[in-house]
Amino acid sequence: MHGSDAVVFDAHGLSRVCGPPDVMAREIVQLAEAQGLGLRVATAGTRTAAWLLAHSQPGITIAPSGQERAVLSSVSVGWLAVVIDLDQGDHIAPSPTETRSASGQPALLRGRRAQATRHYRVAPPPEVPRPSAPAVLQQARQTAESYRQCFATFERWGLRTLGDIAALPRPDVHARMGPVGVRLHQAACGEDIAPLVPVDEPRPFADRLELEWPIDGLEPLSFVLSRQCDRLALALEQADRGAVTVTTRLRLVTRETHERTLHLPAPMRDARVLRTLILLDLESHPPAAGIDVVELMVEVTPGPILQGSLLAPSLPTPEDVTTLVARLGALMGESRVGSPHIVDTHDARAVAMRQFDVPAESRHARVAVARPAASATSPSEARSGCRRLRVPLAARVVLERGRPVRVVPSGRELLSGAVVASAGPWRTSGSWWTLDRPGWDRDEWDVQLATGGVYRLACHRATNTWEIEGIFD
Amino acid sequence: MASAALHQLETLLHARKLGATLTDGWTSRRETSPSGIATLDTHLGGGWPCGAVSEIVGGHSTGRTAVLVASLAQATARGAVVALVDTLDRFDPVAAERAGLHLDRVLWVRGPSFTAELSRPAVLERAVHQAVRAFDLILRAGGFAVVALDLGDIPARCIRTLPPTTWLRLAHVNEGRPTAALLVEQAPGGRSARGLSVPLDATTIWTGDSLQSRRFAGFAINFGTPSTRTPSPVA
Repeated sequence: MHGSDAVVFDAHGLSRVCGPPDVMAREIVQLAEAQGLGLRVATAGTRTAAWLLAHSQPGITIAPSGQERAVLSSVSVGWLAVVIDLDQGDHIAPSPTETRSASGQPALLRGRRAQATRHYRVAPPPEVPRPSAPAVLQQARQTAESYRQCFATFERWGLRTLGDIAALPRPDVHARMGPVGVRLHQAACGEDIAPLVPVDEPRPFADRLELEWPIDGLEPLSFVLSRQCDRLALALEQADRGAVTVTTRLRLVTRETHERTLHLPAPMRDARVLRTLILLDLESHPPAAGIDVVELMVEVTPGPILQGSLLAPSLPTPEDVTTLVARLGALMGESRVGSPHIVDTHDARAVAMRQFDVPAESRHARVAVARPAASATSPSEARSGCRRLRVPLAARVVLERGRPVRVVPSGRELLSGAVVASAGPWRTSGSWWTLDRPGWDRDEWDVQLATGGVYRLACHRATNTWEIEGIFD
Repeated sequence: MASAALHQLETLLHARKLGATLTDGWTSRRETSPSGIATLDTHLGGGWPCGAVSEIVGGHSTGRTAVLVASLAQATARGAVVALVDTLDRFDPVAAERAGLHLDRVLWVRGPSFTAELSRPAVLERAVHQAVRAFDLILRAGGFAVVALDLGDIPARCIRTLPPTTWLRLAHVNEGRPTAALLVEQAPGGRSARGLSVPLDATTIWTGDSLQSRRFAGFAINFGTPSTRTPSPVA
């Protein structure tokens, strides 16, 4: 986009799909007329040539690639003023008063409403430069003045068309007029000074729906969300973007706003997954009243490119994992689902969780070499696991010479029994230096009862109370 | 006449999607997920069968958790991801990591942290129902090499309150998938037709000659003959 009434796009390579340039141009004009727009269309091998032709010639102008100079040769010198607009963009302002007789495969479209009555001039320097970019404005002012001097020189030399300028030797133009003269000479020959680099404007991905009647409950809302997610997914697909954050804003009948934000672990744009995640989140955090307006806003990132492997184990996709974790969170509680995480402490009871995500090194095409787990292969090798009682089971322990000889738990299932073997005590303590958390100071014992069970006992030294903390299994 | 009737019966079973109950499937090549314990893998014919629900059966201190963690660790060592539905929140990550489990490849679903031994049956039954639903969701999602449901501390009478179709439904969900589903139970009951039940027994091992140096070293686990509905692969 150049300003509000000009578009330059690269049509290179589209001929197989859209046809030759003249067909493409005609279709563009027809589409624009259907929308009530009048266009000038020019196609050329260079952006500068297309720009000059679109401004100077009405209707459709086709300049075959390599013949831009010949096509431009009859264009009046005054149209070179529009090149300033091309080169400097915002520093050139349209004016209805100035005189320049206005007037790919880059192609250029220009709105008739804009060009039919509009002429261009070099914008007068602003009285007060913007404090944010004074240097840029100063440079634009100097460049515009240089162009004006060049145009006056061309007029004195009696040059009337771009062909006249193009016929001048460029080194001589440079010697007399400097870089600005060279640029105008290049433009007269239809040459670009820089390749066309398209720049995407930041595009908001949002969908808002005002409902005719307020809706209550999540079931009717799911139909609304389904339509909105479909539209968003299509927009994301077309832009090759994936959603990383989804914000759901519900305006309620009470004039309050219920807002929820989902942070997705991986970019995704599947409409069903997005809808399911939003609904599962709203199930856990439902709105307090009927809903008047539903608004979805998505923050995006470039779409992920994943290369699977024929040899690596198949792994769940990020979309599947996210949906599964959301479903499990709704069933068990959000804090009960994740990946175990070892806490940096000597307290073996401490445990933490973090968000579960398939590790990147597993997902990529690296073939993991199966290494034997720590529990290897000898049949006589001792193994043990531990089942940790998060709520320890209080027990009464009979001691003899300082060692446990009998355990009487308070539960029905863990039978009491004599201790046939024991090891310990292993004294641990910690967090006694903190004020906001309780510390621990206890003796741990591993005991085997006559019933066969092996348990981890702990004796809190401060209170001399015993607990069964774990079961070896 | 008999072969025609047999053929008709097999066709009917396949039509009702109950073909997995036929023993023909046993003879075909099947995927397995190794347990990481050579003796057990020999008993199992290579490992836990994928696409089936198998059981690790035993009481307290029989090595069930050790076998379960070894199986999960073996899968994570291959680069796969695994899931554990921990019905009563008794999984110990510290011990599991020591046994070789890559914790970042484990989806841990924690049930309520109450003391089962002191809880009313209704509370336990609700926890079991939740855990089975979570197990079902994970199996349906797919992509996990091993999915385990730990019911090891749940009394058998609580498990019997589940509808009888529960295990059949879970077997159907996992059928044909490259996932080994494992149950840890005190008594057998949830194995699918192609699954295996492995009863465990263990002898405790203590090291050290004196009271001061004595340590609990672990269990020497004895693996019973896998119970199947089909002929044993090692027979």
